[in-house]
Amino acid sequence: MQPFEYVRPDTVAEATRFLADHADSSFVLGGGSAAVVMLELGVVRPEYVVDLGRLEELDGIEENGSLRIGALTRIRTLELAPQVRRDYGLLAEAASQVANVRVRNVATVGGAVAYGEPQTDTPTALMALGATVRIGGPEGGRTAPIEEFYVGPYETVLRPGELVAGVDVPRPPAGSGGSHVKFTVGSPENKPVANASALVTVEPSSGVCRAARVVMGATGPVPVAARAAGGLIGDAPSSARVAEVAAAAAEEADPIEDLRGPIWYKRRITKVLVERALTCALQRAQGERA
Amino acid sequence: MPALEAAEKAAGRVEYMGDLVVPGMAHAKVVRSPLPHARIASIDASAARSLPGVICVLTRDEVRADPDIEELYGFVYRDAPLVAMDKARHHGDIVAVVVAEDIATAEAGVELVDVEYDELPAVMDVHAALAEGAPRVHEEFFPIAPELRPVEGTNICHRATLARGDLAQGLAEADLIYEDEFSAPPVQHCALDLHAVISQVDDGRITVWTNCQSPFPLGRELERIFKMPARVIVPYVGGGFGSKSRDRIECVITAAAKLAGRPVRYVLTQEETFLSYLRPAYANRMRTGVKRDGTIVARHNTFYVDVGAYAISGARSANNTLKVAIGPYKAPHARVDCYAVYTNKPPSAPYRGLPTTQHTMSYEVQLDRIARDLGIDRLEIRRKNLVRDGDIHITGDYLRSAHTHECLDKAAAAIGWDRPLAPSPDGRTLRGRGVSCTIKYTLTPPRQMSENSAEVVLGEDGVFETRIGTVNIGQGSDTAMAQIAGDALGVGLDSIRIVHSDTGRVPVDSSTTASRSTYHMGVAVVEAAGRLKQQVVEAASQLLERDASELTVSGEGVVGPDGDGVGLSDLVRYVGAPFAATGDCVVGGTYRAPDGQDYPIASTFWTFASCAAEVEVDTETGQVRLVKAAAAATTGTAVNPQSIETQLEGGVGQELGPTLFEQLVWDDGGQLINSALLDYPLPTMETMPTYASELVDHPFEGGPFGAKGMGEIGSVILPGAVVNAVYDATGVLFHDIPLLPHKVLGALDAAGRG
Repeated sequence: MQPFEYVRPDTVAEATRFLADHADSSFVLGGGSAAVVMLELGVVRPEYVVDLGRLEELDGIEENGSLRIGALTRIRTLELAPQVRRDYGLLAEAASQVANVRVRNVATVGGAVAYGEPQTDTPTALMALGATVRIGGPEGGRTAPIEEFYVGPYETVLRPGELVAGVDVPRPPAGSGGSHVKFTVGSPENKPVANASALVTVEPSSGVCRAARVVMGATGPVPVAARAAGGLIGDAPSSARVAEVAAAAAEEADPIEDLRGPIWYKRRITKVLVERALTCALQRAQGERA
Repeated sequence: MPALEAAEKAAGRVEYMGDLVVPGMAHAKVVRSPLPHARIASIDASAARSLPGVICVLTRDEVRADPDIEELYGFVYRDAPLVAMDKARHHGDIVAVVVAEDIATAEAGVELVDVEYDELPAVMDVHAALAEGAPRVHEEFFPIAPELRPVEGTNICHRATLARGDLAQGLAEADLIYEDEFSAPPVQHCALDLHAVISQVDDGRITVWTNCQSPFPLGRELERIFKMPARVIVPYVGGGFGSKSRDRIECVITAAAKLAGRPVRYVLTQEETFLSYLRPAYANRMRTGVKRDGTIVARHNTFYVDVGAYAISGARSANNTLKVAIGPYKAPHARVDCYAVYTNKPPSAPYRGLPTTQHTMSYEVQLDRIARDLGIDRLEIRRKNLVRDGDIHITGDYLRSAHTHECLDKAAAAIGWDRPLAPSPDGRTLRGRGVSCTIKYTLTPPRQMSENSAEVVLGEDGVFETRIGTVNIGQGSDTAMAQIAGDALGVGLDSIRIVHSDTGRVPVDSSTTASRSTYHMGVAVVEAAGRLKQQVVEAASQLLERDASELTVSGEGVVGPDGDGVGLSDLVRYVGAPFAATGDCVVGGTYRAPDGQDYPIASTFWTFASCAAEVEVDTETGQVRLVKAAAAATTGTAVNPQSIETQLEGGVGQELGPTLFEQLVWDDGGQLINSALLDYPLPTMETMPTYASELVDHPFEGGPFGAKGMGEIGSVILPGAVVNAVYDATGVLFHDIPLLPHKVLGALDAAGRG
């Protein structure tokens, strides 16, 4: 690891000012689960490492009709928080599947979002929930829907000096059910080959699906929201219908070939995961109806 | 019982290499070749040398300029230069060493060393290396071990044949002949304790601290290369699995320390270990002739081991497994052909019994194919062919303590072989079971000779200090040797202190490899302890004026029949000096069997084992999950059953990675692309099956209290059992590992099972 200067701002304003002034030479440290590895491997060689760990204004979650998650919130907090588990079960489930408990104890939600790494679970779930990213910057704050936040692998719409301040997640309506599933080679702790989040809303009396979102992650450069999910709406979906929608969704995915598998395989796995996530989400939505 | 040092280790009070500090030490980092094969046109280290904090840079020029340094390392095969001389031969090859006041400065120095490479065509696998007109990795061969036979003008650094009977006749007698090709890619050992060295050259003496597995051969190699006496000290080691058995890095860092005039410390990063030593790629062709009733009459295994850029270890490892390549089966007509081949991959190192594991997978998977084809039960075909005591092996050895049938029966019973498989919970998973059997050798000299010694010393503190060359690498050797010494002396463990692996303080030992220590060091400890006990009793007999036969030794002292006696400390004071005795382990030569004939000894002991496995295959994803596994092994008298059980379990757990998902991948340019743990998944607790170890613990004649070695056998037997279980579940037979999900799913599709 090359030497660097360690900077620890006390306020978001101070942090964004510093990042704006040293846009090409600074590197943000959140929880450190990814950042320290990148520093250690020499993937990044910054002059300044800017530790956001003291920015208390970015820590914590609040629920008030929607979920306001501070960037420094640990993945483990998201996994365990009672209000997240109750009303945003999909997000808690995705959080619970990230790496292992040691990583989840240090990794932050803001880091998971800002890093832009394709092989991770939290952004897939956040996108299925229709989350909005809160961005802090030297010229004040702005927001971006998470679907528009990612430009490519490890690439986001963040401008020099900006940082992820948090994420806002609207509460799914009554009658909703969600599910996140991932597939790894080897240990479940490994990075996913593919993952899928599904969120469906079912009419209590009829079982008719009123809303459905499916997001497919990890196989390609950025998570992809499947238009095919619309095919579930207006009917009480049969398992055959779910399989058709999953197959159509997988065609929309944009897998790349890498160590985790060839393109055909990632597409196959995506179809399987979408089908499993949708089946589970529908069951949960119905369970909530009962 | 738990290891003696377990509580200390759990509390973090045991020193590993990473904890050691030598006063005044500097730090090294290595310039490594980015190319798999290149002529080195020039090296300019002047910018690095002028960086403040850099002490020196070792390149080929410094090595050549020092008449007291031999350029080439290797005590089995002498083909590895300390630093690249004319050529770099693999991605990661050592080109220069930068020594600096701290690690960051050394790293900065590495980036300032300007190396100009002229890229040469590379041979990245055995196939390419054996092709007509293939580029040569080495222009000359330097085999040291007498059994190694290179083929001039090729990349074959060793070729050998072992045969018994008449293969052609056997094949002619066979009703059916089965031929299969099997393969397995390279993997890395991934020991938790990173390979590390501190070397000090002072007053014409070398002192090296290292976590290597062969301190004595290393010390001799240091003395040969640097022409001065060397002491090698090995602290506790956190795993090696063979990767630390024969590396040149200690010699490289000693050259740097000599140049620096300071002790120099170097710790390989995990990424560097991926570029430094691997379990090699393996491929073979297995031909087996059988009668219709399943009796094996002929077997021919032709195997190829990719030793990488240097044969410092791989050529002899490959040769050793000639002895076991046909398996634990009666094959009256058998032949094994071994090819060890240079390529431009990093050099290979043994990996828990290399390549016995791959041989075992090959003959076991083929045997299941034969059984299914002939309609014979899979356990029956094994029972019909497994060797028993008194059978003659391909080496001509008279086999004893085989217990192959008991291993098979115990392993199968442990996973409930006869019970029906649980139905698939969701209709999309298939379940199946498989077994595998193996035979494993230990390192054995070609003629009768001492392989190691041990010393036991009783000092004024009344403790029997047992001095052994065995490296405590996490396998429980200190504990086993303390148990053996205590039993031989008649004292409890609290009267024993172990001093291990310091060539300046303990007698010679060949290495801590090949499952050899419990037997070989145990024999020497028993002999040393017996001699010491005799000395102690004789001294006490003079002091107490008792006949020696009336006296007994305990941790308190030597006691006569009337309760008269002398404490151990008092006895040492009375004599005026510590008692000391050494013992030897002499092996090799011939074995006089019960039939009165003498037979050769190709292996001091043979270890036999079986594994049974149950898997679940997800037909939608191709994911294979090992649900249950059991390993049964011949251990001789079990010195420490708990240690043996966990050793077997660890072997199974580790081998699960290479069986299901681990593999190293090179791109077309010869660059290793997954040289970081981020891209190289390892087994975790979550991948472990429900597991049972079964000990087949009949005393082995000649072993210490009847014990023999078993350290590597747990890993050796897993892949065959898993591949066979997948065959049972799906009807699809795989000829190569790892069983990656996409490969499995593709094969299920092709077979119409997906």
